[in-house]
Amino acid sequence: MPPHIHPEGTTLRDPSKLFHQTDYIRRLIIASYWVIIILAIPLWWQTTSIERLSLPTSRVHAQAENKLRFPVHIKLESVQDASLPSALRHLLQDRIRRSPQAWKGLDVRVREVRDGQDVDAVEPADSYTIKADDGIPLVSQRQLTYPVRGGTLPILADALASLLVPPIDAHRVAQYSPRYRLAFTLLNEDAAAGKSISGWDISGAISRHLSPILSGLSVLHNFTIESQVQFHAPLAFSPTRLDKGYGLTPEDLTVFVNSAEWSLSSSVSNDPVLHFIVFIPSASRRPLQILDAHGLPSSSDAFLLPQWGGIVIYNPPPELDAHVQLPSSALNAVFSAFANQLLALLGVPGLPREMRTDASVLTGWQLDALLRRRALENAEGAQDTLESIVKLVDQIENMPVGQDVRGDVQDALTALDKMYASASASLNETLRQSADALTLASRAFFNPGMLALLYFPAEHNFAVYTPLFASAMIPLIAAAIREVSVWRKQRREAAQALE
Amino acid sequence: MLIHWKSHFLWALCLPLLTISRSLASETFEEELTVRALRDGKVASRFSFTTILDGETPRNPQNLSVEDTSQHYTLFPLTLGQILREYAVTEMHLSLNAGKWNYKRWGYPDEADVGSGAELWAWMGDGGVSTVDERWRGLRNGLAGLFCASLGSLDELRTTSPSFSFTPQGGVPDSPFPYAIRHASLPSEHVCTENLTPFLKLLPCKSLSGIASLLNPHRLFDADWHGMGLHVLWLPDQGVQVRLTFQSVADPLRPSANKRDWSFASIFDRTIDRTCPSATSSRVAVALPINEAYSIHPQPSSIEQDHAIFNLEGQNAPLDVSMQWAAEFEYLATYFRTAETPLSVRRTLQGSSQDLGKLSVFITNDGTVEIQAAYLETMPWIVQFYLHTMTFHVDGVPRADLVHNISYIPPIPHSRAMTFQAVLTLPSRSTVHLSIDITKAFLRYTEHPPDAQRGWDLSPAVLVPLGPGAEGRGRRIYTPTLLVDLATPDFSMPYNVIIFSCSLVAFIFGSIFNLLTRKFVVLHAESN
Repeated sequence: MPPHIHPEGTTLRDPSKLFHQTDYIRRLIIASYWVIIILAIPLWWQTTSIERLSLPTSRVHAQAENKLRFPVHIKLESVQDASLPSALRHLLQDRIRRSPQAWKGLDVRVREVRDGQDVDAVEPADSYTIKADDGIPLVSQRQLTYPVRGGTLPILADALASLLVPPIDAHRVAQYSPRYRLAFTLLNEDAAAGKSISGWDISGAISRHLSPILSGLSVLHNFTIESQVQFHAPLAFSPTRLDKGYGLTPEDLTVFVNSAEWSLSSSVSNDPVLHFIVFIPSASRRPLQILDAHGLPSSSDAFLLPQWGGIVIYNPPPELDAHVQLPSSALNAVFSAFANQLLALLGVPGLPREMRTDASVLTGWQLDALLRRRALENAEGAQDTLESIVKLVDQIENMPVGQDVRGDVQDALTALDKMYASASASLNETLRQSADALTLASRAFFNPGMLALLYFPAEHNFAVYTPLFASAMIPLIAAAIREVSVWRKQRREAAQALE
Repeated sequence: MLIHWKSHFLWALCLPLLTISRSLASETFEEELTVRALRDGKVASRFSFTTILDGETPRNPQNLSVEDTSQHYTLFPLTLGQILREYAVTEMHLSLNAGKWNYKRWGYPDEADVGSGAELWAWMGDGGVSTVDERWRGLRNGLAGLFCASLGSLDELRTTSPSFSFTPQGGVPDSPFPYAIRHASLPSEHVCTENLTPFLKLLPCKSLSGIASLLNPHRLFDADWHGMGLHVLWLPDQGVQVRLTFQSVADPLRPSANKRDWSFASIFDRTIDRTCPSATSSRVAVALPINEAYSIHPQPSSIEQDHAIFNLEGQNAPLDVSMQWAAEFEYLATYFRTAETPLSVRRTLQGSSQDLGKLSVFITNDGTVEIQAAYLETMPWIVQFYLHTMTFHVDGVPRADLVHNISYIPPIPHSRAMTFQAVLTLPSRSTVHLSIDITKAFLRYTEHPPDAQRGWDLSPAVLVPLGPGAEGRGRRIYTPTLLVDLATPDFSMPYNVIIFSCSLVAFIFGSIFNLLTRKFVVLHAESN
């Protein structure tokens, strides 16, 4: 390439005298690039970061410290001896001290009422009355008629303990849900093998045996009822052969339900299901009995699968015709077993053995104890879930937290606040709020939006931008370094020139 | 006093509970198997399992907001009942088929729904708290879960409302609100054992006794054609009817080239060992050949109109119906010169470009009478019609006057499917040719399926002969499915685009930056 020859007769302009070739302007240009880049970093950061709204962490932690407390007022009526109320108070306090876990959340107060005149003027809405009267102890709605004397006081205190905080087998009880689906199934192991049960009067049995219970529990749960009959429901194992008939060992009972073959699952709803199954063994395997731990036939023909449902085994008598309806005597036996299983699964406490009741289904004592326990469970569950969400979001930095999650967490906290406010006023309201809090907290915890970008690593982000950033940044950095070194050289030279 | 009031209150709560428990409707279950030998030596069998819920009506959609009555069933499948009541479905039909039904050789099928892949259509009343489309989505998802099929992908892109070709088969209860149809099909659905297992679970006797014990997946899915169906109807004088059907076309000529003898053991590899105790009627009907020497074993219970009937009630020994022909089977060209059905349809998609094409449909009427037929074409929006290019020729002569009542619902890109319905007049002993230009859409990057290079399956078209005198009136004829090849990108494209555009941006940036910050100096060239 020939060198650029300057035409004759023109004068050369010095490039450094050009406007854009002055050192000052050039440095300004380079600096402005850097200023723009630095200003753009927050914008870039904002547009590529995951939406993580702040959760009300301090409120969640404060809420976790809160404990639900229910006031329990007990009135002693028509007592002869004035020292008895304080003696009962001491006895109860002694029991509370011995097992604080069971009495958790209860503030028990015992007061005396004489001749219909309350000692304290204030009348709490839901208070329990103990009426001193000789005869067999009788439990009514919220009243207990009891022969209150000095000698019977410790027994009364025990009775009160089992009425207020009844012992419950917690792992049996199904988790609280505002709505349960009760699925009744009549299972014939093999109808084609002969003498099967082809149907049952399910509506009649439900209205006779279960409807009173269900309406009694309507403040806690709603129920959807459905039923089906199956004609081929094979077992997944072979029962043990006995001298007469067949037996189910305790190990067999744990694998009794053959979910693969028995179509028990619901196809449209997510409500928890409690299953109640009548199992009719195949004609070739009758009678089928439940064996105890020693391998001997037990007298019971029903068993309960914790949190799942109840199963009754019915061996049709040999004289029964082939393919008939379930006889009404058997139906009654089966449904009274189902009623007991339902109560056990829902955690409804029984009454102390020695007491009679005049209530048809449930007394106020039982219902209140259940309401208190469910509310406590829900409140604890909601608090734990909220704390877990906060902890999880804290630990995983890639986890997005959207508006709906924050809204649910806030609503759950509000529901918990409302629950505490109503704890002394209304048990039903407390339970409703605690259930709302639990539902909202679980919904926030299982929000699918929180998983969206969990596995989109930062490296991926950089990999996409590197082709642009690397190739644009290298000339920028090189120019900056060059200018800085030139500037330093100039200063050094200027300093030397001064010397 | 309080206690008293409370107990009254409890009773009041009790009452509605007692009244909503519906009295047990009586239920009946009938099963039937029909077997017929086809002209080409194959054997078509059709299983039909019918459960009737006596006196029951479908759920009124206006009551969707109130608590439903308890569902108590003996023979009716509960899992299906839950779906039907949850979404207040009046009538629904689901079919899952594999293979291509050959109308020309096999004639009309016993069950009309033989379109390849999955097809679902339902009639639902309006006027509830949730719209028909919301319930249609719920129904799809519910059935997808029940049948382990990808019915969930029968989404808005594939849903149409062809009320003319898919009329209700049963009755619809009186309602001040209109009833609407939703129809969708998924021709690429593969039907296999995982769909049959839940199907069998809906039967009272599963596959353990009765006719259903012949449903052996190993043999059924080996058949030349197989398909299952679920039909729910409301029969005003009877009640809600659920019919489960299974059809298959087996080929006895496969193991031996000239023996078309068949038996249950040879087709299904099973026999009926036990009867289903809950079936009120359980029978096998075998179509008897005309003008041919044959023998059938065992002795049928009765003969009705060229059908040998075997009643299974009281049957103790295993039943294995078998049929032998005296003569060996010969393929005669004359067999197939005349079709079994008066109408036959051939549909193709022409054009090699990824942009334009032509849909061409040949319909042959072999009959001696003119036939009016409704033609229905539903397409996802990816194939769009140029309606003005539609031509209609009869044996090469343009006859636009033979197309009436065209109804066309244009597609909406990225959402609604296209519906084209017309009534065609098909002159006797002639072939009509309907053609229409189409354009193929250019899809967004994310709209492509995982196997994008395979192309898109298009639903079969449906032809329904109408009018009095037409043979096979009201029986739907499904055309084979089509495959359309759309422009598919190179799926590593986004990364290439990122690299290319980044390089370009970096190049431009570098040059401008260089120009702006370069220091120019004058160098005096040494003159020689």
